[in-house]
Amino acid sequence: MPKTEVKIIGFLCNWCSYAGADMAGTARMKQPASLRAVRLPCTGRVNPLLVLKAFREGADGVLVSGCHPGDCHYNEGNYYARRRLEVLERMLPALGIDPARFRYTWVSASEGAKWADVVNEFTQQVKQVI
Amino acid sequence: MTAYSYFPGCSLTSSAAEYDVSFRLVANAFGIGLDELTDWNCCGASPAPHHWGGELGILLPARNLHIAGAGHPSVVAPCAGCYNRLKYAQFELERNPELRERTGAALGEAVRYQTEVLNVIQLLNREIAPGDLSERVQRRLSGLSLGTYYGCVLVRPPEVVRYDDPNNPVKMEPLLNATGAATPHFPFKTECCGSYMGLAKKEMVLQASKRIIEVALECGIDALVTVCPLCHQNLELRQGQINAAYGTDYHLPVLYFTQVIGLALGHLPAELGIDQHATTDFGRWMLDAG
Amino acid sequence: MIGVFVCQCGTNIAATVSTDRVVQAAKSMLGVVHAESIQYTCSDPGQRAIIDAIQQKGLTRVVMAGCSPRMHEITFRRAIGRAGMNPFMLEMVNIREQCSWIHSGIDETTEKAIDLVRKGVARVRRQKPLQPGSSPVARRALVIGAGVAGIQAALDIADAGIPVTLVEKSPTIGGNMARLDKTFPTLDCSSCILTPRMVEVKQHENIKLMVNSEVEKVRGYIGNFEIDIRKKASCVIEEKCTGCLICQEKCPSKAPDDFNACAGESKAISIPFPQAVPLVASLRKEYCRLFISGKCSVCQKVCPADAIDYGQEDTVVTEKFGAVVVATGFGLYDWKQSYPTYGMGMYPDVINALKYERLLSASGPTGGHIERPSDGKEPRDIVFISCIGSRDESVGRPQCCSIGCMYMAKQAILTKEHIPDSQSYIFYIDVRAAGKGYDEFARRAQTDFGAIYIRGRVGKIYPRGGKLVVMGTDTLAGDQVEIEADLVVLATGLTPAEGAGGLARRLNISTDGQGFMAEGHPKLKPVETNTGGVFLAGACQGPKDIPASVAQAGAAAAKVIGLLSREEIETSPMVAEVNQLKCTGCFKCRDVCPYGAIENQDAMGGQVAHVIASLCQGCGLCNVACPPGVISLKGYTDNQLIAEVVEVLR
Repeated sequence: MPKTEVKIIGFLCNWCSYAGADMAGTARMKQPASLRAVRLPCTGRVNPLLVLKAFREGADGVLVSGCHPGDCHYNEGNYYARRRLEVLERMLPALGIDPARFRYTWVSASEGAKWADVVNEFTQQVKQVI
Repeated sequence: MTAYSYFPGCSLTSSAAEYDVSFRLVANAFGIGLDELTDWNCCGASPAPHHWGGELGILLPARNLHIAGAGHPSVVAPCAGCYNRLKYAQFELERNPELRERTGAALGEAVRYQTEVLNVIQLLNREIAPGDLSERVQRRLSGLSLGTYYGCVLVRPPEVVRYDDPNNPVKMEPLLNATGAATPHFPFKTECCGSYMGLAKKEMVLQASKRIIEVALECGIDALVTVCPLCHQNLELRQGQINAAYGTDYHLPVLYFTQVIGLALGHLPAELGIDQHATTDFGRWMLDAG
Repeated sequence: MIGVFVCQCGTNIAATVSTDRVVQAAKSMLGVVHAESIQYTCSDPGQRAIIDAIQQKGLTRVVMAGCSPRMHEITFRRAIGRAGMNPFMLEMVNIREQCSWIHSGIDETTEKAIDLVRKGVARVRRQKPLQPGSSPVARRALVIGAGVAGIQAALDIADAGIPVTLVEKSPTIGGNMARLDKTFPTLDCSSCILTPRMVEVKQHENIKLMVNSEVEKVRGYIGNFEIDIRKKASCVIEEKCTGCLICQEKCPSKAPDDFNACAGESKAISIPFPQAVPLVASLRKEYCRLFISGKCSVCQKVCPADAIDYGQEDTVVTEKFGAVVVATGFGLYDWKQSYPTYGMGMYPDVINALKYERLLSASGPTGGHIERPSDGKEPRDIVFISCIGSRDESVGRPQCCSIGCMYMAKQAILTKEHIPDSQSYIFYIDVRAAGKGYDEFARRAQTDFGAIYIRGRVGKIYPRGGKLVVMGTDTLAGDQVEIEADLVVLATGLTPAEGAGGLARRLNISTDGQGFMAEGHPKLKPVETNTGGVFLAGACQGPKDIPASVAQAGAAAAKVIGLLSREEIETSPMVAEVNQLKCTGCFKCRDVCPYGAIENQDAMGGQVAHVIASLCQGCGLCNVACPPGVISLKGYTDNQLIAEVVEVLR
């Protein structure tokens, strides 16, 4: 039975995805009220341990989103993030966490519609596995 | 030998018998097996979509699909109308489980609808490489300008048939070019021929078809090539009516795609049924060549 | 002593968030001594209410729940600063863009708002007062692209006494405007307006002009950019060339005439047009007989100034700039593949409007006589088709080109003036003429110059007897139309200039869905970008006409002048800092830092890391890389982020 209410922690970089999420809001693109965004300068600031902390504190899902690779505001921060998060994703099963509850993605400041899609899809995905 | 289920439809057994003959000759030449569906029925074109709330236009081709499902993995329908109806039935059955159920109830068993549906261009492009055709050409059609005429239902609606660019289809061109023929830019390759309005409002068909011929001649085209029996009828058979109505003097040959390939392979026009055409003004290029 | 202020933003927030319930919930949060809801916090009375509360209740930290921090964080930092607080003891909680505007049920939206406020309270409780740093400003501006926008920006900045380097990738400045015959809605001669400005650029003591040049590499940050500019070899010594044109006359190698939109033909060595600035020849090696077959040196032999140097090589100069203006302009949409029913370029008499503009121009390849490309005949019936590659979802380009309606009207008027017995037909979707004097102008095209406007699209173009038949629909009459035309002119959409995407990446600025450069905020930061010190002017930011480009260029120049008139600029205090007592000296932080902002320092009896605050941009990469976790990004410390996560999930 899929859970109806879920809480998802989002780690969003200030320059791309947070701005993209703002844009989705300005365009009034409806999204489930599942996401709680934490704003960071860069996805490179996301310590994988912080993601695990969120799961430990009871998050149903964790979403990390930043600038597209190659477009990082700090040149290369999201490359570091990609490597770290890719490893983290593969480690999750060993920690007893369904990888479907975790996602990292790239949404630029101009992709409001894409942001709304990401939140909708990921919320559905999390509901299926929780 | 690769074998396909073959759905000829009504036209290829009557008014477009030469299309059937030429298709079988070409298929045979390249070792393509054609097994005609047993007990096939009307493809569901023309009047059928307007009966039973439009559903007859789905149920009829659904039965043909179902029969094909018991045979080879793919079924070929040379007539553009038949092809379109089969694709339509498949499209509707894929997205509508309730329709699937009702169709199954009518058939007495679960409907088999996933057989791959091919048109004749698709089939020949898959089985014949242009290089191979070029090597086997007996009568090279060099110097000949062919206007590829795709018509409407072969490429439209694009979300249903999902075949070629609906505004600028180009899939006939490679094999035709392999025969040595040129395929110059022809802006009317998908322009309406008037379709079945010939029954209700003949003038409309004459006007539409006349314009296609006119533009073809303007573009320096020696013959039109089509895969649709109805287009062929309007563009070819009605040229006399067009000439009578407009005082023109058109004698533009209109050939089936398979007839052109058959000619290049060295078959005589009569073997391909070209002699049965109304417009047999082939001029310099067809009979005297190699 | 935390104060929580919940903005109703009129009904923008209050319609879906019960601000009263948020206030009630906030009052029970740890450390909160004051909470209230205000109708418009950003208004003057709203800000005063916050300041009053700070002073009366002795608040030391503030949570502002309202719009996105990207909107008003600076506004509220200033407000609490005025109340005597450290401006960084503020946390903005976004309950508008990312809450009230995207949810509908009041209960779930309010619950989320309360979660977010709790998160903000937890975060601000761990915030420490921060002091912005400062860094010196390099007093020189770089303007990239020298069309009308770049020229305007460069002149405005230079007139303020600030040195400017103006970089242009082609051999002359002037951009697209230099190719226009007349401008709407006044029919001013385009080059009569522009060329004096071009000459001014050349003569200005504060402007260093670099043509045939492109920005190659960008380092640094606002106030302190270090930029490599590559000047491509043109085989002509600029200082020696007198612009006599003898080389172009004698050159045996033909080349496409880019300036004339290929309406004419040029030579491998050439000056694009007579008013070019600088008036210096350039050689295009890809068309030159010498570089293709190894035989020829005609231009060198005939040059009276001895200005030809075949061995010339690219040079790269590196300069320091305090600010950058991007003014790379636009390119035209290539319609040929997307509109196959228009002949895919197979009909020479179907041309884009820029090529037609060159045929209208007295300085164009036909000397201002309209001659159609196929046979050089003067056309009588001319069909204009609007919205080619714009407002057309079927080719993936939904946006308006914003100038097509106006230049079609202009070209129809000019056509009538050139050929009095001609007839222009304009297929349009809507006539968008919103600028000053624009609608009157577009109407004159119909009333005074007899252009026939047909509302509808064109489905097909095909040849008939040396003419082109244009088949379209008249959606007002509900009828099909066919027009026999001598010439068809397409109003093609605008794209970003070639290479704009690469430049945007080098400058670290974002682009939108169509590749145009993204402004900092659609309303409030129309010339800024997300990268401090980089500004936008003209059509690189989106399709726009000449007045809008010039206005934006002036605005960008004002921003640059404001920035560069300071000796030092404030830098963000949110930089990394090392707890050197615990640093093990592994220098993983130094290895990941994109800015070289971390250095070795002799301290604590050994080598430890040290952050050069003026170089640190605050990305936080080092914070994550540090094994013992002793390097920390101020304002985004581990403690703060963990507290946010814990509180929001409570």
